[in-house]
Amino acid sequence: MARLAIEAGEIRKDYGTLTAVDRLSFTVEAGEAFGLLGPNGAGKSTIMRAICCRSPLTSGSLKVMGLDVACHQRSIREVVGVVPQENNLDPDLNVRENLLVYARYFRLPREVAEERTERLIAFVELEEKRNARIDELSGGMKRRLMIARALLNNPSMLILDEPTTGLDPHVRLAIWDKLRNLRQQGLTILLSTHYMDEAEKLCDRLMIIDHGHILVSGRPRDLIEAHAKRFVLEVRGCQSQPLRTHELGVIAEQHGASHLYFAPTAEQLAPLIGEYEGCETWLRPSNLEDVFMRLTDRGRLT
Amino acid sequence: MRSWSKVDIGDVAQVWRRNRDVYRRLWRTEIIAPMLEPLFSIMGFGWGVGSLVAGKVMGVSYLTFVGAGLLTFTSLLRALFECTYAAYFRMVYQSTYDAILATPVEVESLALGEMTWGVTKSLIDGLIVLGVLWAFGAVLSPWALLIPFIIVIGAFWVAALSLWITAMIHDINYYNFYLGSVFSYLWFSGAYFPLDSLPAWAGWLAWMVPVTSVIDALRSLMMGHLTPLLLLEMGYVLVAFVLTAEVAMRALRRRMIN
Repeated sequence: MARLAIEAGEIRKDYGTLTAVDRLSFTVEAGEAFGLLGPNGAGKSTIMRAICCRSPLTSGSLKVMGLDVACHQRSIREVVGVVPQENNLDPDLNVRENLLVYARYFRLPREVAEERTERLIAFVELEEKRNARIDELSGGMKRRLMIARALLNNPSMLILDEPTTGLDPHVRLAIWDKLRNLRQQGLTILLSTHYMDEAEKLCDRLMIIDHGHILVSGRPRDLIEAHAKRFVLEVRGCQSQPLRTHELGVIAEQHGASHLYFAPTAEQLAPLIGEYEGCETWLRPSNLEDVFMRLTDRGRLT
Repeated sequence: MRSWSKVDIGDVAQVWRRNRDVYRRLWRTEIIAPMLEPLFSIMGFGWGVGSLVAGKVMGVSYLTFVGAGLLTFTSLLRALFECTYAAYFRMVYQSTYDAILATPVEVESLALGEMTWGVTKSLIDGLIVLGVLWAFGAVLSPWALLIPFIIVIGAFWVAALSLWITAMIHDINYYNFYLGSVFSYLWFSGAYFPLDSLPAWAGWLAWMVPVTSVIDALRSLMMGHLTPLLLLEMGYVLVAFVLTAEVAMRALRRRMIN
């Protein structure tokens, strides 16, 4: 197996006069879980479509599992499993048939398809629904079935576009569990998400993109330390007060009606609380969401 | 013929099998309902209009004459509906094409699989209508056994044309233009009356549409009047299919891979 699951060199995608992805380079190592983050319209879906061979690049080189997307589309789709943003299960077929019919597109022999279908239905815990129609399934069940379907061809890499959007917290936890399980089995995972907690919990590495460019990339912990220090003091409902920009070693920022102060230690932030009498203050460890907001929101909401 | 070279027959078969499996679940509604209309139109033409047309048309009863037209239209319309509304539903509302294109199946095989399925439905309906016509005594020659082949070739052209339109439109209401043209053409196709009743220019226009050749070929087989013209007609329809399918496959690739 290739050491690099994805090798993108200066990839660019234009739609007419709009440049959706602008000479962007990154790599994903085999066996790692990699997150693609960014505001709506940042270029995440375009990158994913390019990797799935659904969108030819304007320029640049893109290799998936060592295979060039420009000429090995069929071989790439044989080794990749895709869970798109919108569920596209076949409403004319039941749960089991959805998997069996899909297996045929990969030319799996009947016995192999049957065996994998049973194993995957068990893996996503849909045994009791195996003969149910798709419209009888809950949102979480459909999502789990989508993941099962993407695993039919025993892929080396699973690509998930917003895997848990619109699902309740219990279902999200259950899906994260499955994805971690797959990751431990050695599967490379590429996912895009708007949930920072999802990215923080699932991804070994991630990159945040905006306007087709990479803003930052790295391990979630490192990104938080580098761009959101370690602690943050959040002050809400303080429109009338000025932002305190004079504290040494503290980064001050205004996001809408909130003031945010970032520092490596909580001690540096504690004195500020006293200055905001009557306002809602909250001292907490900083997280990926802070990084995201700082990098993608600057100039947009302040 | 760039697109044709990308077709993988094995993949075409898998796309076809998906539609067949769905059809098998729903076959009662799929077979019975669409059969009522032609059954009544054959009765209407046989007993109703046929009794008013006292003389023979081209040397045969009006039911035999018009039967060829009814058989052609009833069967080819199945391919049309399958590759317009049904295909549009699968492509846009159910995202079935997106799901399939995440597998090794290429757009061109998907397109040909959809067309082949439309043709299959045409063939099923065609066989039933042919049986009904035979029961009414409208089939005069054993050469009629070759009619299914003619239906298949004609349905392939209709399926390709319909899928091309499906790949081009972004609003399901645009099919109204297509259907409007098809039903207008019906009156100039030689289905209801001989084409030589038309002004010459209208006749030539009618012959440009491959379906006119299908109706004529099918009628000559029903009557047992075989001439070399039959081969010419089928060649024309076949060439039209190959070219139209190429255009349809390119259009669907532009639509799905962008």
